[in-house]
Amino acid sequence: MERKELIRLEHVSKAFDGQTVLDDLNLVIHENEFVTLLGPSGCGKTTTLRIIGGFEKPDSGRVILDGRDITSLAPNKRPLNTVFQKYALFTHMDVAENIAFGLKIAGRDKAFIEDKIHYALKLVNLEGLEHRSVSSLSGGQQQRVAIARAIVNEPRILLLDEPLGALDLKLRQDMQYELIRLKNELGITFIYVTHDQEEALTMSDAIVVMNQGYIQQIGSPEDIYNEPENAFVADFIGDSNIIDGTMIRDRLVRILGQEFPCVDTGFGTEQPVDIVIRPEDVELTAAGEADGGLTGEVTDVIFKGVHYEMCVMAGGFEWLVHSTRMFGEGTRVRIGVDPFNIQIMNKPASEDEEAVSENDQIR
Amino acid sequence: MTKFLKRVYIFLIVFFMYAPIAVMVVQSFNRSKSRGHWGGFTTQWYLSMFGDRSIMAALRNTLSIAFLSSLIATVISVLACLAIVQMKRRTRRAVMGVTNIPMLNADIVTGISMMLLFLSFGLKFGYGSILIAHITFNIPYVILSIMPRLTALDKSYFEAALDLGASPVRAFFRVVLPELMPGVISGMLMAFTMSIDDFIITHFTKGAGVDTLSTKIYTEVRKGIKPEMYALSTLIFVVILILLLLLNGSRSKAGRKKAPGGRSILEIAPAAFLVAGLAVSACSLTACGSAGEEAGAEASESNVVYVYNWGEYIDPDVIELFEEETGIRVVYDEFETNEIMYPRVAAGASRYDLVCPSDYMIQKMIQNQLLQPLDWMLLPNASGYIGEKYMAQARSFDPGNRYSVPYCWGTVGILYNKTLVDPEDDMESWDILWNPRYKDDILMQDSVRDAFMVALIRNGADSNTTDPAELEAALSSLMEEKPLVQAYVIDEVRDKMIAGEAAIGVIYSGEALYTQEENPDLEYVIPREGTNLWIDGWVIPAGAEHVENAHRFLDFLCRPEIALMNFDYIYYSTPNEGAHALIEDEEVRNSPVLFPELSQYDNLQTFTYLGEAMDRYYNDLWIRLKSY
Repeated sequence: MERKELIRLEHVSKAFDGQTVLDDLNLVIHENEFVTLLGPSGCGKTTTLRIIGGFEKPDSGRVILDGRDITSLAPNKRPLNTVFQKYALFTHMDVAENIAFGLKIAGRDKAFIEDKIHYALKLVNLEGLEHRSVSSLSGGQQQRVAIARAIVNEPRILLLDEPLGALDLKLRQDMQYELIRLKNELGITFIYVTHDQEEALTMSDAIVVMNQGYIQQIGSPEDIYNEPENAFVADFIGDSNIIDGTMIRDRLVRILGQEFPCVDTGFGTEQPVDIVIRPEDVELTAAGEADGGLTGEVTDVIFKGVHYEMCVMAGGFEWLVHSTRMFGEGTRVRIGVDPFNIQIMNKPASEDEEAVSENDQIR
Repeated sequence: MTKFLKRVYIFLIVFFMYAPIAVMVVQSFNRSKSRGHWGGFTTQWYLSMFGDRSIMAALRNTLSIAFLSSLIATVISVLACLAIVQMKRRTRRAVMGVTNIPMLNADIVTGISMMLLFLSFGLKFGYGSILIAHITFNIPYVILSIMPRLTALDKSYFEAALDLGASPVRAFFRVVLPELMPGVISGMLMAFTMSIDDFIITHFTKGAGVDTLSTKIYTEVRKGIKPEMYALSTLIFVVILILLLLLNGSRSKAGRKKAPGGRSILEIAPAAFLVAGLAVSACSLTACGSAGEEAGAEASESNVVYVYNWGEYIDPDVIELFEEETGIRVVYDEFETNEIMYPRVAAGASRYDLVCPSDYMIQKMIQNQLLQPLDWMLLPNASGYIGEKYMAQARSFDPGNRYSVPYCWGTVGILYNKTLVDPEDDMESWDILWNPRYKDDILMQDSVRDAFMVALIRNGADSNTTDPAELEAALSSLMEEKPLVQAYVIDEVRDKMIAGEAAIGVIYSGEALYTQEENPDLEYVIPREGTNLWIDGWVIPAGAEHVENAHRFLDFLCRPEIALMNFDYIYYSTPNEGAHALIEDEEVRNSPVLFPELSQYDNLQTFTYLGEAMDRYYNDLWIRLKSY
């Protein structure tokens, strides 16, 4: 399927009170995508969303929608709608009035509005609640009203600012599936902001990992998880063992004094690198006192349901290991890793470079 | 048992809170003007209230000022809040601090500083100045009531409306304002009641001819508050009670479920309030016209006269007659005591042309060069009809009769209840007030000069003495009398004597006649040792701008038939012999109370101004007596 570009941010920078929040940010989002801006608080993801929505004006750079520069367009003139973090439902109006708000402003006729309200409520599974006051609804219901209120306007893009943050875990998971279903039914682009990596991995077509005003990596959830491009991404997405290592030559790496075969090439010889190994990729086998290889001792065991989470002290590094096989505390174990599961990354020369490394890359 | 006690407790609380209002409601149906005496059920006060032009004008002013000031203050406050909420935390705190200070400020400080401000800007005192003052003191209250709602309002609320396509203005009116509405309405209602409530600030910023209910009621203290005021207060109480009940009723209903399509009272109330308020304001600005006319009156400014008189001290018809006859508009204002009148005239807050102070105050004003000499050529009626004996008496404070024309006079004497005193006792001497037989049956005047006058004259001294020995002697006499005294009071002498709650009281002759009508057992005597003869007289302030009109009005008042109208209305002794001769009722004309044969008393003294140092000395003595 040919992917058509929908919105593009070009060299966008923004500072508040002299503090840089976004620095020369470039991003392209395509039609019918579910894109998640992911990062820790203060990374600039919400500011990016607000710039797209028109609530903030960038200090420099442009926002292009369908080839048209909308950088200075007022929010009420943009064909976008937002679902706000705290829903921002109008409490002096009932459910139907809230949903009808945008349509009334647009001057739609009564029958059309009625139809739309009915359709939207059906879409978010809130039929029959037209005349309830919004304050009498539960958090999840309020969230659905907020979504209904946004989508009845048939926006080109739906912006969602951590919309599930206030819901409890079970409800959050339900809503995640609802959102995916909605996106598929409506066929519009969703731009979703969250700091919850699990949420991002579950829902997104593409994830934009951000930190300190820079984009760290853009990719599918699988790419981001399996091939983190730097230590920050690796650390932020799921649990990781991030270890200093040395690339001996192509397909061979030294980790904590032990040589491991790997699949990466092109890092040169005897180059210091960062090694990322996911905890579930660490294979433990029982080991005797005298066994060679990378061996260590289990220092901590926690039962997590699906697996055991173990800490293993080996080669002077505390490894995090997920395994369905349990080794008791004090057991001596040998650590092995499949070559495919060793992720090798260049070491950044400095903090700054770490942040910028992937910034120029436009997908 | 505890349940019973709880109920008693609740009952007591409610009782103490509502007993005063209940008494007022009862009094509003009392045929007798006296508060201590039930004269039968009547609704006449309600009827005469609606016919009283000055009460209705004051009511209109009160309501329209309350409405306009609360409305304008609310608009300003909403705008201010929108700005304040955008500020950084530090600035916002500082600004909120500054706006909160006026609320903690004493009203009197606010009132005086507003007066000074208006004076220094040369602003005309009147409806406009009151309105500005009320708007000013209302703003902090409204801000305080809106601010919490605004800060609690999520910023994304406004953005959500923008996001859905509303323009910023539309977003504000459709989304933000409705959300603030409860705060806005309660702020506005608070401002409304604060404005109706206010007396002190209004008092300092009002001008000639404009009164609100509170200032109007206050000017009546000298002659006693009119029963019409009880009727009006009762009506106001009932209206507010009904409004509250409706509001509460609708609120509890609205809380349960909103009827689809139907509008709750809560929603209609603001609109109704707005319509009613606008109607009253329009009516007060056009019908009563004082404010509007004054604004555009600069052209005809020469054709007015500013009169400053005691409350209830003229027949309103007299003013109308004068205006009809001469085409000169009378801007009429009232004061309640000489001491309140003095600084206003001295400061020139309003340029009065004709003022009516009492004897000693006239002397003080002459000494401080606040008066201008009268042109007796322009006062033929005054020279022709004011009795020479009164003119002579007036020379004690106004040598040569250069500055004042006597308007009313009276004596201070003893009022006693024939059924409660021993006929053998000599009632025609001040000594009776020292008779232990009447312990707790004696009422004294609660005023320093009057109380000391009684003791000084009894001791054979002059009531204007400045001799410390004589004053100390008078003080010890009063201390000796104090255990016998039931109370030091002013108005209550009248009511308590009518009700038979005391046997003997010191009273003004003007009040005495009225008490006798209410209770025939009462008798008024002037003690043979002598007493105080007081005179209120018309004077023209030095800064008067309409001196010729002032003379015309003054001479009009001295016409016998006009003076008679005023006598019938005020019921104080008139010095106008022409009017005296016209009194039809022989009993009144020859009343020993109102018109005693002055020549038979050789010791009738009129108060003179003793100077500031002496005033302070008298007050110190008074405090010593009160705390004795």
